Amino acid sequence: MVLELKKPRPMWEIIFSTHHTDIGLLYIIASMVALFAGGGLAMAIRAELFIPGVQIFEGQADFARFFTVHGTTLLFLWLIPFGAGAGNYLIPIMVRYKDMAWPKLNAVAFWMIPPCMFLLWGGFADTTWNAYPPYSTLKAPGPAADMWIVALKLLGLSSVLGAINFTVTILKMKHPDLPLMKMSLFSWATLVTSLMIIVAIPTFAASLVMLYTDRLGVSGFFNPEMGGDPIAYQHLFWFTFHPEVYIFVLPAIGMMYEMIPTFSRKPLFSYYSGVIALIVIAVIGFGSWAHHMFAVGMSFTEKTVFMVGTLAAVPSSAMHVFNFLATMWGGRIKFAAPMLFSVGGILLFFSAGAGGVVNTAMPLDFLTHDSYWVVGHMHLFIMGTITLAFIGFIYYLFPLITGRMYDQRLAKIHFVLTFVGIALIFGVQHILGLYGMPRRVIDYLPISELIIMNQIASFGGWAIGTSFILFLYNMIKSAMFGKPADPKDPFELGKGVEYYYDYARRDPHH
Amino acid sequence: MGHGTPEWIFIGVVVAILIWVGAEAWNVEHALEYAPPNSETIRVVGQQWFWSFQHADGTQEINELHVKEGVPYRFEIVSTDVIHSFNIPDFAMLMDAVPGRVNTMWNIFDEPGEYLIECREYCGLLHQDMRARLFVEPNTGNTTATSQSESEPTISQGTGTATVIAPGGSQVGSSGTGTMRVVEPGNLTQSESSSNVRTGNTSNATTPGTGAGSANGTSAAGSSVTLSIPVGAATPGNPAYSPDPLTVSKGEVITVSNDDTAPHTVTSGASPGDADAGQLFDTSIMMPAGTADIDTSTIDPGEYTYHCTVHPFMTGTLTVQ
Repeated sequence: MVLELKKPRPMWEIIFSTHHTDIGLLYIIASMVALFAGGGLAMAIRAELFIPGVQIFEGQADFARFFTVHGTTLLFLWLIPFGAGAGNYLIPIMVRYKDMAWPKLNAVAFWMIPPCMFLLWGGFADTTWNAYPPYSTLKAPGPAADMWIVALKLLGLSSVLGAINFTVTILKMKHPDLPLMKMSLFSWATLVTSLMIIVAIPTFAASLVMLYTDRLGVSGFFNPEMGGDPIAYQHLFWFTFHPEVYIFVLPAIGMMYEMIPTFSRKPLFSYYSGVIALIVIAVIGFGSWAHHMFAVGMSFTEKTVFMVGTLAAVPSSAMHVFNFLATMWGGRIKFAAPMLFSVGGILLFFSAGAGGVVNTAMPLDFLTHDSYWVVGHMHLFIMGTITLAFIGFIYYLFPLITGRMYDQRLAKIHFVLTFVGIALIFGVQHILGLYGMPRRVIDYLPISELIIMNQIASFGGWAIGTSFILFLYNMIKSAMFGKPADPKDPFELGKGVEYYYDYARRDPHH
Repeated sequence: MGHGTPEWIFIGVVVAILIWVGAEAWNVEHALEYAPPNSETIRVVGQQWFWSFQHADGTQEINELHVKEGVPYRFEIVSTDVIHSFNIPDFAMLMDAVPGRVNTMWNIFDEPGEYLIECREYCGLLHQDMRARLFVEPNTGNTTATSQSESEPTISQGTGTATVIAPGGSQVGSSGTGTMRVVEPGNLTQSESSSNVRTGNTSNATTPGTGAGSANGTSAAGSSVTLSIPVGAATPGNPAYSPDPLTVSKGEVITVSNDDTAPHTVTSGASPGDADAGQLFDTSIMMPAGTADIDTSTIDPGEYTYHCTVHPFMTGTLTVQ
C-alpha cells in the first residue's frame, strides 16, 4: 500500500525508520489495529447481552476473557499509542526541531507495543482490566494472567520511555525563538500528559511486580492469609489509573484545540485559560484516586477527602469546554468531519462530566458503583469524548499524512452513525445501572425493562460497529485512490486560514 | 465587559454547583454513616459463589435472608476467598466483601416484600449467578426478632463459634464503622460439627477414589454406600464426585461426605435451572467436612444425573437398580 503520495516509499523503509513521522505513522496504524480488534470484541459482548441467558459464550469465564481483553486493548493499545503517535507526528514540527530528542529510543518505545499485543491476545486473561487480587493472584487461571501482567509491564515501560522523549523534546529541543507560552496547546497537552505518565506509571509498575510475585506464591502483598491486604493493590492501582484518565483525555483536548479554531476560522478564545486548565488538572488529578473505592469500606474522612479532591478536578475540565464553545461563538464554522467529531466530543464530554459529579457524591456512589452506570459513564468518556476526538484528528491529519483527501460524505455518515450509537448505548447503560444491573455479568434477570434497554444498547453498539467498517473502508480506499489534497488548505476553508502543518516537514532526512 | 469576565462567571457558577453537591453529599452520608446503637447485627459471608447470613441469635441462612420491617440492622460483611460486593439494589445498599476485613453497613427495611441480593464485584466463574433473596417480613409489633422457626432453609448452628476472629480473638460485632480488623478467612465458616439438617453420621473421611469398591456391589437394602466429594472438586476439570457413576440398589442409604474445602451439594437434575432440580433428592449445602444422607428407598430404579448448586459444572450420575 502506498501511504505517501509525493515520495512513495516501500513499507519496510517506513518500518525500520527512526524518523518521527514514520514512527508516528507506525504508532497510529498499530493503535488503529487495536481499535478494530478491541471493538470487535465489544460487538460479541453486545450480541451476548442481547437477550438474557447464556448464548454465544460458554459461560462467564469466556465472557470475562472477552471484556478483559476488550478493555485492556482499547485503553492501552488504542488510546495511549494513538496519543503518542499523533504527538510523534506533530511535536517536532510544532517545536521546530528536526526530530524527537532521541530517535532510536523513540523507535524502541514503539517496538515494545507489538509484543504486548501478542502477549495480551495470546493469553486472553480473565482478570478484568483492573485485576483485583485476590481473584487475580489466587484464582485467575495462568498463563493468561501472567502474560497479561508482563504485557502491561512492557506497555508501562514503553509509555514512560515515550513520555521522557516528549518531555525532553519539548523542553530542551524547542526552537530558541519559541517561548513556552507561544507553544501550541497540543504541545502543552502532550507535555503535561508526559509529565503525568512519568509520575503515575511507576506506581502501577511496582504493583504489577507485587501481583506477579503473589501469583508465584513467594510473597503475600495482597493476600490476607500472609499478612497482606487486597485494598493496598486498589490504592496503588488507582493512584496510577485515575491520573491515567487525564493521560487519556488531555491529548484529545489538545487535538480539539488544534481543530476547533481552524474550523471556526477564528482565533482561540483564551490561550492562557487553556494552559492553566491543563496544568491545574495535572496536579489535582493526583488527589482523587480513591473515589473508585468508596465501597471497599473506607472511613467517612477518607470518603470526604476524595470526594472533595474529585470535585476540585471538575472546574478545569469545565474551563476547556467553555474555551471551545467561546471559540466557536460567532465563528464561520465549517462542519467538516474533524469539526463534527470535535463538537460531538464536547457534547459528550459535558454529559460524562455531569455523570462524574453524580458518581462522586458519596451516597449516590453506592447506588451506581460497579453497576452499568459506571460502564456507561466510563465509555462516555473513553468512546464519546476521547475516541471521537481521536477519530476527528485522524481525519484532520489524513491529508497531511497521505497527501490525499478522504471521502467526505462517508466521513459524515460515519459521524452520524457513531454519535447516535454512542448516545443510545451509553445513555441507556446509565439507566440500566440505576435499575441495578451489575457490570461484568454474562446473564441478567429476564425483566422486560432490562431486556429492552439491553437490546437498545446492542443496536447502538452495532451502529458504532457498522460506522467503523465504513471508516476503515474510507481510510484504505482514500489512502490509495483519494483525490490529491491541496497541501496548503485541504479542507477548503478559504483565504486567511492556513493549514497548520508544514507539508514538507513530513519527509525523512536521515 | 472584559474578555475574561464571562469565563470567570462560568467558573463561579460551576464551583457553586460543585460546592452545593459536595455539601449535600456530606450531609446525607454523615447521617448514613453510623448505625443506631440498638441495631441487630447480621453477619454476611460472601464466598464463591453464594451468600450466607448469620443472625445474632445464631440462626444461619444460605442464599436467603429474612429480616423484619422497621428494625435497624447492622451488616458485617466478610469474604472467605476473593472480593465480592454485597448489593441490594432496591435499597441502594452496597458494600464490598473483602477478605481480611470486616466492612459494615446498616439499614432499616421499610417496605415488606421480596428483594434481590446480588454480587457486584467480578468474582469468577459464576459471578452472575451469585444471587440471594431478601425477605422483609411485616413487623407484628415485636421488635426483637426471633426468626428461628419460620424460615424454611434454616440451618441450626450449635454454637456461635464461627465468628471468632484470629488476632486478639475479640468477637466481631463489638464496635464501630472502622473496617480494618483482620480476620483469618479460613475460620469464618468452618463449624466443627456438620451443620446439615439431615446429618446422620459424621464418620468416615473416605479418601477420594477408594470408595469405588463398595459402591459397585449390590449390597442389601438399608445398608450404606459412600459418595465422596474429593479435594479440589470446586475447580472445573477436577473430579467432582467419587465414585462416578455411582450404582446403588433401591433402599440403600448414600452417605455423602464433603472432603473438599468449599461448600457443595448433591442435588438431582442436570443444572440448577432445571424445572425438576432438587425434586428427587437434595442434600442442601454441606459445609467442608460435612456429611449428609440420601435415602434411595423413595427413588424409582433408573439413571439420574445430579449436580452441585454452588458449582453447577460439578455433575455426576446415579444409577438406582
